[in-house]
Amino acid sequence: MLLADFGTSYCKLWDTTTKAPQLIATKEIDQGLQVDIATGHNGKRHASRYINELTALAKGGNALIDTDHYTLLDCGSRDIKFIRYDQGKIKNMGWNAECGASMGFTIELLERYYNLDFSVMQVPASSFSVTCGVLGMSHIFDAVVDGASEGEAVAKFVKGIALNAYNFAGSPETLYLSGGLCHNPLFVASFPCKVVCLGRFVLLQGLKASWDEQKY
Amino acid sequence: MKTCPHKKQIGIVGVPPLEIIEQLEADGDTIFDLDEPIVKRDIEMASSYLPRVFCAILRTVVINTISLRPDRIYIDVGPGKCDCALHTATILKDILPETIITTTRNQDRKDFGTPLCSARMPLLDKVSAITKSVQSAKPHKDLPACTPTAGFWGVPPRDFSLLSLFPDTTHVYGWTRCMENKTPDNQKLEELCNPDIPTVFFAQSFCAKTALARHLANRHPHGLYVDCDVTAGNSTKAKIQAFLELSTLQKSKGGGKQAEFCLLSSDLPGF
Repeated sequence: MLLADFGTSYCKLWDTTTKAPQLIATKEIDQGLQVDIATGHNGKRHASRYINELTALAKGGNALIDTDHYTLLDCGSRDIKFIRYDQGKIKNMGWNAECGASMGFTIELLERYYNLDFSVMQVPASSFSVTCGVLGMSHIFDAVVDGASEGEAVAKFVKGIALNAYNFAGSPETLYLSGGLCHNPLFVASFPCKVVCLGRFVLLQGLKASWDEQKY
Repeated sequence: MKTCPHKKQIGIVGVPPLEIIEQLEADGDTIFDLDEPIVKRDIEMASSYLPRVFCAILRTVVINTISLRPDRIYIDVGPGKCDCALHTATILKDILPETIITTTRNQDRKDFGTPLCSARMPLLDKVSAITKSVQSAKPHKDLPACTPTAGFWGVPPRDFSLLSLFPDTTHVYGWTRCMENKTPDNQKLEELCNPDIPTVFFAQSFCAKTALARHLANRHPHGLYVDCDVTAGNSTKAKIQAFLELSTLQKSKGGGKQAEFCLLSSDLPGF
């Protein structure tokens, strides 16, 4: 069975007969690829069965998180989503595809443009007020003009993005994090709460859960 | 739109008082509900008259009015509607001197009942029937109530397509229920909902009702707050779809009960 999360920048593919999911740049995906179940912005045309991303996130969270009270935040390339469970019931959810968006994509863009290594960068004491990855870049350019190093400016930007995401998710005490930004140490360390990283493949777990429900 | 040349074209906004509707029915004039997207024009057309950051339904009223040029408009502006409608009425009086614009303050108290709100019917058809019923003073037909599996609280959305996401067994609450009851200024009825069913609390963006919708959603044991401007985006629809789907996976605390409460009553246990 082939499951896929067709993201804006990266596609996560999982052939359940193999051990581990694969990560492939979306621009390298065969446009004719067909899978059994899909989610993601580009998923509908690649599968006969499509699962809503929030549903996939929630089912993935239920499969991976061993508590009935949690907040799970998914930070993707161009949007952020969260779900909150309380006593085993879905309590709230959000999906920001406009304001607060373009996070992952913008951070990766800045990493390459300025040739930065987020694994060695310190969390700054302050941050920029950022509600959108695209609009927030002007803070970086202004800071560099005012004498800050590119690394310092980008670090403040990344922290601002993290704080915006934290507020969007309802400022929980513990946050379960999904998405590629789990592998960005600066981003993860910028959250003012305990963060449990679940990695990039939470939605794939949700697709598997949907498949299993269908079988049984 | 073809109409009888001898009949007047009357526009209504909100829920005008019953005596106005009775007179219009007796006169046999053609009635347009200006809150609905009748004229297929870009909403940007209203931007010359109203700010873009403004209720999309009233922006629709302006587009309909300047396109259709009715002979008369009854626009409810009191506590059963809103101040935004009051200001829209002022603007319309100024830009359309040939149209007679009458403001009303509907505070009717006669309960017509809400059979459609509890009936088994596709939600889109149900809300369409409720908005249509505003144009008539006739008593409602009796309809059997279904066991609810979901709730929709709020005003009829500007974009009806999001109503197609709900099951046929959705009960309707909020101001839409007040519309069917023909008591638009009825705070107690507007705040009513069923705490046992997953409920979407909807409001149009930039509307004062967003405050109440969000507060009630937070108080409801199983509520989701949604607001929407001109059209419902994919993320809004996905939220509703996911909420309803995930809600069916949970054990229902008492699904099937039709107990309805006002969540803001201090007498209720557990809220």
